[in-house]
Amino acid sequence: MDEVFKALADPTRRGLLDSLYEEDGQTLSDLVRGLPMTRIGVMKHLRVLEEAGLVTTKRRGREKLHFLNPVPIRLVHDRWVSKYAEPWAATLTGLKRQLEED
Amino acid sequence: MEKVFEIYIKTTPERLWEAITDPELRSKYNFGVRVESDWTQGSSYTSRHPRADGPLAEGENVEVDPPRRLVQTFHALWSDDVKVEGTSRVTWEIEPVADSCRLRVIHDELREGANDELFGGWPMILSGLKTLLETGEELTTPGSLMYAQQPA
Repeated sequence: MDEVFKALADPTRRGLLDSLYEEDGQTLSDLVRGLPMTRIGVMKHLRVLEEAGLVTTKRRGREKLHFLNPVPIRLVHDRWVSKYAEPWAATLTGLKRQLEED
Repeated sequence: MEKVFEIYIKTTPERLWEAITDPELRSKYNFGVRVESDWTQGSSYTSRHPRADGPLAEGENVEVDPPRRLVQTFHALWSDDVKVEGTSRVTWEIEPVADSCRLRVIHDELREGANDELFGGWPMILSGLKTLLETGEELTTPGSLMYAQQPA
């Protein structure tokens, strides 16, 4: 989980995730476009994201496609956020159901 | 459109395969949904929840290669909005890595701009699957509460 927090602690890397959220399956060239950064710089950031499991890749012919893998973010949520925030959410979900059924 | 979901789980490919194909185990992390099938190549499957009217999804098992690979067509039926999305494809890939497994769920053949309800549940499902196999416990997520019985 350290890798996930580390990967998310950088605005460029969060930007790359946002870019993949908008359009999944981009190549390195797609991702470099529009960024004030060299190919090598973007590759380094992608490697950190891959090591954290936030980006996963698939080969298609000679191209390497990058996909946003949201599962580690869910794991962080289930481990950290839900512990503090979810009791409220659960109560509200229950309340919503009760009100709608009555 | 194509979506890829990946998770590492400390388990064996056989246990993972069982958790995907056994209706009782599946329901423990898949929002209470039971997936029933005889799991032979070309067979059909149906996803149901005891408290939902009618099936929530259905499809065909296009490729069945236990305990490594399962390719299914997927037609969501839980609302009119998802019904019109038609049939997409879900591929489960299990890859042993040291004492764990890498599970990849590839959801593709989705319409460009497809309704995200179709694939939005995967992170919760996979997180719940990891918790179940690694701790034997069930994880509470918004998905698992969807059809949950109201607390008394």
